[in-house]
Amino acid sequence: MPLIETQNLTHVFPDGTVAIENINLKIYAGEFVIIAGANGSGKTVLARHLNGLLQPTKGQVLIEGQPICKNIVNARKKVGLVFQDPDRQFVGQTVAEDVAFGPENLNLPPTQVETVVKASLEVVGLSPFSRQNPHVLSGGQKRKLAIAGILAMKPKIIIFDEPFTGLDYPGVVQVLQQILHLHAMGHTILLITHELEKVLAHADRLVIIYKGHLVEDGKPEAVVYRSERYGVRMPLRKGEEVKEMSWLK
Amino acid sequence: MAEITFFHYIHRDTVLHRMDGRLKLVCMLLISLSASFAPALHHYLLLFCLLLVALRTAKLPWTALFKELKFFGLIILLVISINAYTIPGDPIPNLPLPGLSRQGVVTGLRFAGRLINILLVCVVVTGTTSIRTFGNVIEWFLRPVPFVPETRIATMVSLTFVLIPVLFDQFAEMMTAQKARCIELRKNPIKRLYFAVFPFLEQTLRRTDQIVEAMEARGYSELRTRAVFKSNKCDWLILALCLLVFLYVILS
Repeated sequence: MPLIETQNLTHVFPDGTVAIENINLKIYAGEFVIIAGANGSGKTVLARHLNGLLQPTKGQVLIEGQPICKNIVNARKKVGLVFQDPDRQFVGQTVAEDVAFGPENLNLPPTQVETVVKASLEVVGLSPFSRQNPHVLSGGQKRKLAIAGILAMKPKIIIFDEPFTGLDYPGVVQVLQQILHLHAMGHTILLITHELEKVLAHADRLVIIYKGHLVEDGKPEAVVYRSERYGVRMPLRKGEEVKEMSWLK
Repeated sequence: MAEITFFHYIHRDTVLHRMDGRLKLVCMLLISLSASFAPALHHYLLLFCLLLVALRTAKLPWTALFKELKFFGLIILLVISINAYTIPGDPIPNLPLPGLSRQGVVTGLRFAGRLINILLVCVVVTGTTSIRTFGNVIEWFLRPVPFVPETRIATMVSLTFVLIPVLFDQFAEMMTAQKARCIELRKNPIKRLYFAVFPFLEQTLRRTDQIVEAMEARGYSELRTRAVFKSNKCDWLILALCLLVFLYVILS
């Protein structure tokens, strides 16, 4: 059974703009899937449906076979969403407070909240910064904090919405290492990006969304050569292979 | 924002930082009331000394804080001057400034003392108490009040305090961007206000929307983990000291 499945997922905005239309997608446990597409293609709208932040106009999203509309809290617990701009999602005044926000929403006992916060900060290597203000961290550290905030809710699947935007080279490397570490720990990863050259080597599947439609879904080496048709830069130069498409040495 | 220390929480491991938030709030009320109703100048001095000791104990950065107090220094000076010149009374002999009254200067100094002490109370409390603790304390105090959604109010207060410095930063950035495009050349103040207020309002609403979305994504619920407060002997001693000072100031 797929961990997450969309059936004819369609979202139309109130002004009549069709954001996504008839998206059928199945994500299995342990997969590393990249969703690529040009700006405005509907990637983020799709991601927000998977976490229950947006309700479909037509179709449905199933998590482990259950429609998410039946238990939205369960969906948010199982599907963690790391936003594109981490600065805009911090609600705590310190790093530890921000990470505690999710587990507190789940009404966990205070001692358990503390344990989960410590463990999550440990995983992303931010324990020494637990008393810092989130806004003074570096770009890479902010992404890591956003990841820790999601990890504290113990999700099965983590969606990263453009995780490399605005980061310098060391920042991209830090975040990429973190994502791979989470995948190695058993998390299912869904990564939204159009910068394929940074991460494609690590993906099991490449999905391309174009003007709200799912147009490609398959092994990266099979799909990547057609990416430019859909407004996504083809990262391979002559003689290069997909397994070289990573910013990790 | 990282450089601002005034009214910001600064994490340290001190008695005041560890103090039970509920007792700290009561202490704050007692000292603020004392500062507001102190009848004589020596009371102001006593409170000032007490607050300096608190600042020292909390290991808050003195120099930076007093530098940032400069702005209030101007207000204080203005208040003393207005009082000194507008309140009628006896002239001060041998003073080269004509028009000042002794009663006016005393009233102005009293007002300044009150303002400084209240500012210092706020600096000590905000510097040693995180917004989350504030929220939890508000929730705790409101819990027994019927028909009051204490969790919602506490969340609103916390978010307001988290967002205010962020919005200030955003406003400053927006104004700089407008200056870069020669906004100063527009002489019509209404037009300038229009360009400042509307984009800022729009940004604030958008920002609020994003925060709400981020909170929802992390399963925000009003049935949340409740904070556990612990008080020790030292906390009660601090409260007793504040109570003594309050009684001394009010009763004398």
